[in-house]
Amino acid sequence: MPNILLADDDIELSVMLSEYFTTEGFAVDIAYDGETALNKATTKNYDLIVLDVMMPGRNGIEVLRELRRESSTPVLILTARHDDVDSILGLELGADDYLGKPCNPRVLVAHMRSILRRSTERSGPAAPDKVQIKDLEMHVGSRTVICRNVRVDMTSTEYSVLEALVRSAGHVVSKEDLSERALGRKFARFDRSLDMHVSNLRKKLGALPGGEERITTVRGVGYQYVTT
Amino acid sequence: MNLHVHRLFWKFFISFWVSLILFAALVVGVASNYLDHIRERNSAINPFEHVARHVINAQQAVDRQGVEGLKIWARQLDRIEAVPILILNSSGIDLLGRPVPPVIIERISRNIDLPLSPLDHPRTHPLALIHLADGAEYRLFPDFEQVTLGRVLQRPRVMAVPVLIAALVSAFVCYVLARYLVSPIERLRSAAEMYSAGDLSLRVGPSLGKRRDEIADLAHAFDRMAERLDILMRSHKQLLTDVSHELRSPLARLQAALGLARQRMPGAHQPELDRIERESERLNELIGQLLSLARLESGVQTAKTESVDLGEMIDAIVADAALEAQARDCAIQLNNCSGMVIDGVPALLHSAIENVVRNAVRYTAPKTTVVVNVERGPQSEGQVLVRVRDHGPGVPENMLSRVFEPFVRVEDDRARNRGGHGLGLAIAERAVRLHGGVILARNEPDGGLTVSIQLPLLPPAKSKHGSS
Repeated sequence: MPNILLADDDIELSVMLSEYFTTEGFAVDIAYDGETALNKATTKNYDLIVLDVMMPGRNGIEVLRELRRESSTPVLILTARHDDVDSILGLELGADDYLGKPCNPRVLVAHMRSILRRSTERSGPAAPDKVQIKDLEMHVGSRTVICRNVRVDMTSTEYSVLEALVRSAGHVVSKEDLSERALGRKFARFDRSLDMHVSNLRKKLGALPGGEERITTVRGVGYQYVTT
Repeated sequence: MNLHVHRLFWKFFISFWVSLILFAALVVGVASNYLDHIRERNSAINPFEHVARHVINAQQAVDRQGVEGLKIWARQLDRIEAVPILILNSSGIDLLGRPVPPVIIERISRNIDLPLSPLDHPRTHPLALIHLADGAEYRLFPDFEQVTLGRVLQRPRVMAVPVLIAALVSAFVCYVLARYLVSPIERLRSAAEMYSAGDLSLRVGPSLGKRRDEIADLAHAFDRMAERLDILMRSHKQLLTDVSHELRSPLARLQAALGLARQRMPGAHQPELDRIERESERLNELIGQLLSLARLESGVQTAKTESVDLGEMIDAIVADAALEAQARDCAIQLNNCSGMVIDGVPALLHSAIENVVRNAVRYTAPKTTVVVNVERGPQSEGQVLVRVRDHGPGVPENMLSRVFEPFVRVEDDRARNRGGHGLGLAIAERAVRLHGGVILARNEPDGGLTVSIQLPLLPPAKSKHGSS
């Protein structure tokens, strides 16, 4: 049973949602403010944290920034709908996904399951355990990435995006395709999630030994992991 | 009349009064100076020296043209000389018929009787003689008695300089005065234009410094009005934002409760719950629209702009709308034109055009076609014009300019039946305006409404797609 932490300052909502999640088969902890959420997140090992951005005191973005210093626990942030700033900032700080609030709990659970699937995914028997392209090594079994002989920390979503790109290295992966393979959902128009994950990957991996961009953007289509 | 209240009045009054007095004083002063100067000549040792010069000229005129020549010369002299020079015959009558003062008549009668001394040089003799061919004689007399102000003022050569100076001085005074009056009015006008463009931050008062008059009072009253308007507008927007945010919490709880209710009755057919879910989604959508409208109105745009291919975007919008049109038994047709790249916020442009297109599909009559046109122009190549034409009932002429206001319905029942909530066109208008464009609605003569959106295109050099 996956352990999740729900951090939201709306007590009534949290109680109802935790009841809903329990019925859906999750073990739920609740935190009503940012400080408590951070304490719980750093002391207990959760499979997923659902973090409301709009909390009094320490808000969700600050909690996420603090949390990412020491842990790569998957995080789903809840932002005000139609507010791109929080979602982009959250993704940049290493959130795995975001959802506009208010949202249908069914949709929320679907997003949560998709993140959990990515983080617990083990490679199928057909897939090779290790993929190597030039200075990049991906260990599929342990979901670790070694670039220029240094281990690179990344969130499980970032790993999934990179894996999808590397498996099709040298070819353009459309955003639609990438969204379904890496995020487990259909690509929505104006969804900046993929852009943010790719941008994080570029920062973490740096340029190719030759100095070129490691992952190129093909405008209006998608992304490509460069092999030559 | 209160002195303090009517400062401007007094400024007008005093500056006009003073400049008129100055003008008059200058003219009178110059003229009387001149007069004094002439009078001084009268008492000088040799006051007739300049008369002697005239005598020579007069004699020359007579020698050439006789009496007529003398008359012409006399008239010319009279026009330029401030001191009238009388030309008298032996009986003391002026050649031009001017009155002769008794003093001169007396002197003539006295002098005529005296024999001319051989020492008397004709050039210096007071009874300067001019001899005509027929033997008649005329004498020149400067008539100092007749040097009056009126006569001086009538002589342009004498008056030209003081009049010119006075004109320049008064022109300068009037220019300064006019500037002083008009420049704050000009500032008020530009402030008013900024207000009507939605920027209520400008204040006119501080730019007037220590000025205290009716115009300054007007400017301060104007500023207070702007302040008040600003507060009202802000609180209006704040209210909109607050209400929308506050509405979201109960809505989130409603959706959670709905989820729980569904969990507890798994598998059962729950049309009421479906309905609740649908309506709460609609409410959520409406709140979202309210918030984006409030954000657009505030003019603060956080999203970055990028080059957007409008043609591609409209392609996708029309493809989506086609399904909706099919469901309403009507059609949608697109006449697209490629290479329409503009600099903008994709999500905003998308919602602007989508709102207009969906509105057209919603109102067009069954079995008709909504036509979407994308073309360059109309005035310049640097613009793109998107026209969306439906075959619906149109909009009453008096409502045409109001369709872009939030929550304005053309006909209440119609919009509600078709699921509109009067925000789509308002959002479209704000979004288009934010991109420096114009949106207009117009009734077609054969029925139906055309909404046209005009947006500035990116210059071709900049519209090359680059990797980001």
